[in-house]
Amino acid sequence: MTLHQLNNHLNPAPEALPASPALRVDGLKAYYQTRWFGITREVRAVDDITLRIEHDEIYGIAGESSSGKSSLIKTIAGAIRPPLNVVGGTVNFDFGTRKVDLYTLKPEERTAIRWKHLAYIMQGSMSVLNPLRRVRQSFIDFAFRHMGMPMPAFLKAVEDHLLRLHLQPGVLDSYPHELSGGMRQRVVIALATVCRPGFIIADEPTTALDVVVQKSVLTMIREVQREMRASILFVTHDMAVHANLTDRLGIMYAGRLVEEGRTRDLFRNPRHPYTLHLIRSLPRIGDAEPRQGLEGTPPNLADPPPGCRFHPRCPIAMDVCRVMVPPMQALGGGHRVACHAVTEGTVQ
Amino acid sequence: MKTYAIYLAKRLLQFVLVVFIGINLTYVISHATPIDPVEQTISALTSFGNTSPEAIETMRESLRELYGMSGTPLEQYVSFWSRIVVGDFGPSLSAFPTPVSELILRALPWTIGLLVVATVLAWLLGNLLGGLAGYYRKNRLLKAMGLIAMGLHPMPYYVVAFVLLVVFGFLWPVLPISGGSGIGVGRGFSFDFISSVLLHSLLPALSLVVVGLGGWFLGMRALVSNIVTEDYVVYAELGGVDRRRILTSYVMRNALVPQVTGLAMSLGAIFTGAIITEEVFGYPGIGSLLVDAVHAGDYSLVLGITSVSIVAVSLAVLVIDLLYPLLDPRVQVE
Amino acid sequence: MLKIFRDLLRFNLEFAIGTLIVSIIVGLSVLSFFSPYPPEDIYVVAPDVPPSWEYWLGTTSRGQDVFWQMTAALRNTLLFGIAVAAISRVISLTIGLVSGYMGGMTDRVLMSINDTFIIIPLFPILVLFYFVMRDSMSWALLALIMAALGWAYDARLIRSVAMSLRTREFTSQCIFSGMSPRQIMTREHLPYVLPIVFSTTLNNMNWSIGMEVTLSVLGFTDINTPTIGSMLYWANQHTALVAGVWWWIAWPVIAVMLLFIGLYLLATALNEYIDPRSRLSRMGGAT
Repeated sequence: MTLHQLNNHLNPAPEALPASPALRVDGLKAYYQTRWFGITREVRAVDDITLRIEHDEIYGIAGESSSGKSSLIKTIAGAIRPPLNVVGGTVNFDFGTRKVDLYTLKPEERTAIRWKHLAYIMQGSMSVLNPLRRVRQSFIDFAFRHMGMPMPAFLKAVEDHLLRLHLQPGVLDSYPHELSGGMRQRVVIALATVCRPGFIIADEPTTALDVVVQKSVLTMIREVQREMRASILFVTHDMAVHANLTDRLGIMYAGRLVEEGRTRDLFRNPRHPYTLHLIRSLPRIGDAEPRQGLEGTPPNLADPPPGCRFHPRCPIAMDVCRVMVPPMQALGGGHRVACHAVTEGTVQ
Repeated sequence: MKTYAIYLAKRLLQFVLVVFIGINLTYVISHATPIDPVEQTISALTSFGNTSPEAIETMRESLRELYGMSGTPLEQYVSFWSRIVVGDFGPSLSAFPTPVSELILRALPWTIGLLVVATVLAWLLGNLLGGLAGYYRKNRLLKAMGLIAMGLHPMPYYVVAFVLLVVFGFLWPVLPISGGSGIGVGRGFSFDFISSVLLHSLLPALSLVVVGLGGWFLGMRALVSNIVTEDYVVYAELGGVDRRRILTSYVMRNALVPQVTGLAMSLGAIFTGAIITEEVFGYPGIGSLLVDAVHAGDYSLVLGITSVSIVAVSLAVLVIDLLYPLLDPRVQVE
Repeated sequence: MLKIFRDLLRFNLEFAIGTLIVSIIVGLSVLSFFSPYPPEDIYVVAPDVPPSWEYWLGTTSRGQDVFWQMTAALRNTLLFGIAVAAISRVISLTIGLVSGYMGGMTDRVLMSINDTFIIIPLFPILVLFYFVMRDSMSWALLALIMAALGWAYDARLIRSVAMSLRTREFTSQCIFSGMSPRQIMTREHLPYVLPIVFSTTLNNMNWSIGMEVTLSVLGFTDINTPTIGSMLYWANQHTALVAGVWWWIAWPVIAVMLLFIGLYLLATALNEYIDPRSRLSRMGGAT
């Protein structure tokens, strides 16, 4: 049990836990559909994903680059624009006070929940602040209308929030280019949390930072989450970050979810051969054995292999893997895996 | 503040360089060519009648003196520069003995007035409409404007001015097609004079705006359609920032930065356009003065106009450059 | 290369229209070689005949057939544009590649000079040039001076591409394998910038032809060589519009306007093909 979960266990939230999860994603499909000089292409970046994220939980999504994880959370955040289109499935949020089905909302309703309930920390946070506006202006643009207070009180609230996150209120007077990379990332996190949203989506927020800064930013995210009891959907390819931060973890491969469970279960007892490979590739103290790379490259999502998409690279692939898509199988304790070998018991 | 000082120094240096190279170019063209402007002038002046050889010889001497072509090449070069620094280009030959500088000063306000109004109008309108066209890509009206802009943008100033002259001079004569103000309208701060000036400037200004507008429109449209994919715009949209705020402060504002640089860069070309347009509509500015000077064989006037044009345009560019940091805080870092 | 051309023709409307217009103009200028009258001669046909079956586009007050006169004018105008573009490309390419590849002080000095040529108003200088040359002014001389003045804007474009090439790995590879800067620029970088060179050629032709027309109409070039500009010059000299000989003015103006639009459309289409960002927006627009 992580410290964080222990904390929740000993001090349960005073209000009754809502019955429905914070996020329900069912059968979500989102494809890149392009037509250029007469050639039509369809890239199935998100292909039939179903998952739940509970309140007050950090849920991680892992997978190598071009596994579709960025497309997945863009779809969940409603941040897609052509050529990426939702082809099927639903995304339902429960923010406690209101429940919404993201893709049936009117545009103005979607705008109304953004930042107040649903905040987003984008990949490449370095360039998400308008370079010609002072940080203070960005806070006003994003958050003022949600806070329902006069301007001086609002600015005071922003400064208090920054101080809580160990940031000097002086950053408000800076232009983005005057801040260091780590500072800018922290400002973006402060911006994303200033309205105390119930759900935060973070897309590789630490990837571009060096390790020391990365650690302090992760600490900041964890502190914010603990204080606000928000749900966080956290995406990174870095398994070490997942091990340190997330409560539950989903593994994506080629646009599909292949395994999901409590982070500690997944690390102790990975069932999918791909998860196993990801965890084995992590360095361990006192272990000098060279890490083994995986043969081959991720499949071309415009023309994915039939059956299990991992089979061309899987060391234990069977005949059935080449023809049939493995169904998601519950293993108990919230652990799910989509692998024929596990279902048929050929592995453990 | 220190960074701004460095920026300032760089811009001033560029200004000096432009003037230096430009003036040297005129020097080289006027001195290094095989044709002697003195002989040119003499042949132009004597072609109308018989002049005695002695008179021609005296004329040659005084012209050499006047054009700064007496003495060694170095002396000529130094005197060329010293005339420009003090703004003394000698007397005009075609309007003898009026000094060239006076003729230029008389024409300059017309050109500057026409140029500033037309450029500012074209720039503002083009950027506004182009920005909207880039942001609202599906709008039919803006799409149609894009097509018109594509047709107008490649047209040289002369052709557009000429077509307008034909349309309003011969097919539908409602506007004055020539001159700077009505004949017989007294100058001064009277309503008649000002309205006459405005009326006469309408066609030249219109033709300048028509040509300029297309370029700014297309440039801004392309810039905006790139900027809407920038992270900070996408992020603001995701943050539910007010749409109008995004359009003005995130998209348009940021796209204007390169457009201001573009304005500084194309000022020379716009100036060229303005003086060509003046000639077409007989507008009493620098352009008409220049063409008349060529036809009259007035060497000092041509040289004076060329030099003043170079200094004036680079001065205008310098002003834009100095105001640029107000628009883009990042400039001081580079 | 041919495949790109075919694809552009099929899927890019601007390119198709541009190609059509430019082909017509080029076709007309080729026809000039079959002209029944030498283009420089005057009073070869009855003057001031309106468009008719005998003289399709009418005849001028100087007794020239407008159609055949125009084919010769278009040919000379096009050749002029090509000549200016070709010479100025050499300068642009040299300055752009060297500046972009060398960087540092060389880059700063070259770009300062470059910006100077962008800022300086060229028209007064060209007029001054005509003023001192007068009767020695020729077609080739004008092309030369325009090329010497009109390279700067495109050198800047080429420089920006060369700068990005410099940071690519294959450039370091070349340096480590002992290639000289000159070899790297001509053998490795030149092929990458050629597409832009091509599209800037079209825009530069537009610029130089426009300038030539302007200068000729004002009489500031060699007005005895038939070009679109000198045709208009003679028409103005004979006050063709007042005299009602509108066909003398209308046809060359329409032809040259078409040429401007055609060249511009081709350049735009090529630019879009080269620039991946606008390609992306086109892809987005397709869904």
